[in-house]
Amino acid sequence: MEENPNKIDFKRDILIYLGMISLTALIVFISHLKLKVLGTVLIVGIASTEAVVVGYYFMHLMTKKKTIQLVLLLTVIVFLSLLFWPAWDIGYSPRPPSEYVGN
Amino acid sequence: MHDTEFEMVPYKIEAREDTGLYNAKFAIWLFLASEIMLFGSLFSAYILLRVGSLSWPVQSEFLNVPIGALNSVILVTSSMFIIRAWSALKADDFKKFQKYMWLTITFAIVFLCFKGVEYAQHFMHHEYPKTSVFLALYFLLTGLHALHIIGGIIVNIYYVGPGSRLRAINKQWFINRVEIAGLYWHFVDIVWIFLFSMLYLL
Repeated sequence: MEENPNKIDFKRDILIYLGMISLTALIVFISHLKLKVLGTVLIVGIASTEAVVVGYYFMHLMTKKKTIQLVLLLTVIVFLSLLFWPAWDIGYSPRPPSEYVGN
Repeated sequence: MHDTEFEMVPYKIEAREDTGLYNAKFAIWLFLASEIMLFGSLFSAYILLRVGSLSWPVQSEFLNVPIGALNSVILVTSSMFIIRAWSALKADDFKKFQKYMWLTITFAIVFLCFKGVEYAQHFMHHEYPKTSVFLALYFLLTGLHALHIIGGIIVNIYYVGPGSRLRAINKQWFINRVEIAGLYWHFVDIVWIFLFSMLYLL
């Protein structure tokens, strides 16, 4: 006998929900380990994973049309540009901290 | 609303041939894209100010991590409830839909209450946006997010209340609207995931 698709969805949603709670607990635990750069990479990585899971399953991006994927791709490109622009600026225009003091 | 009025705007229910989406769904994704730009620029400003700063406070000592973590659980749970509400509506179970929508709204209000407690703790210690760059960013980012939560609560209350009359005109149209509200709500959840990680834990 085939299982009701609504029941399958419910089970999947519950599993994803529990996974999300576990990941939240994991990043809090990692933050207590004071791992410095590795900790930052892990926390941002896990947070990004959580965001992808919410988008993929809860927002049903797995079944969405190409239109949405294109809109999101463009957005992600702009978002990453915004995010790394400062890093690029600081990396290529180094100013010693003394320049900031007293100005 | 008369049937003729309902028919005037096409693609409210059926998908367009070119995009493969009904109008509202395409619109909400464009709106969410603009929201990503907004929060993206603010996160970018946060990184710039933090990297360019001579000294930066240990954020986890400034903020209440347990409350932040609890709020993360609360928002993820409310995201789960709005999915169940939408599923109940699709299954034509209006009572269940109402139950899950009210649970979503209640959890959102609890989230705001905890946020209020956090803000009150800061104000009691004379910590205001003007106190430091970090606190200015903290209040700006979390305040903007809280405004989004309030907006979501208003929309959800409308759909569980007077907005649900639309169901009598066209069930699928109402289901689509609730789906749109759900997409927005999940986005607000995603923003909090990043806010919690960047402001409370790093």
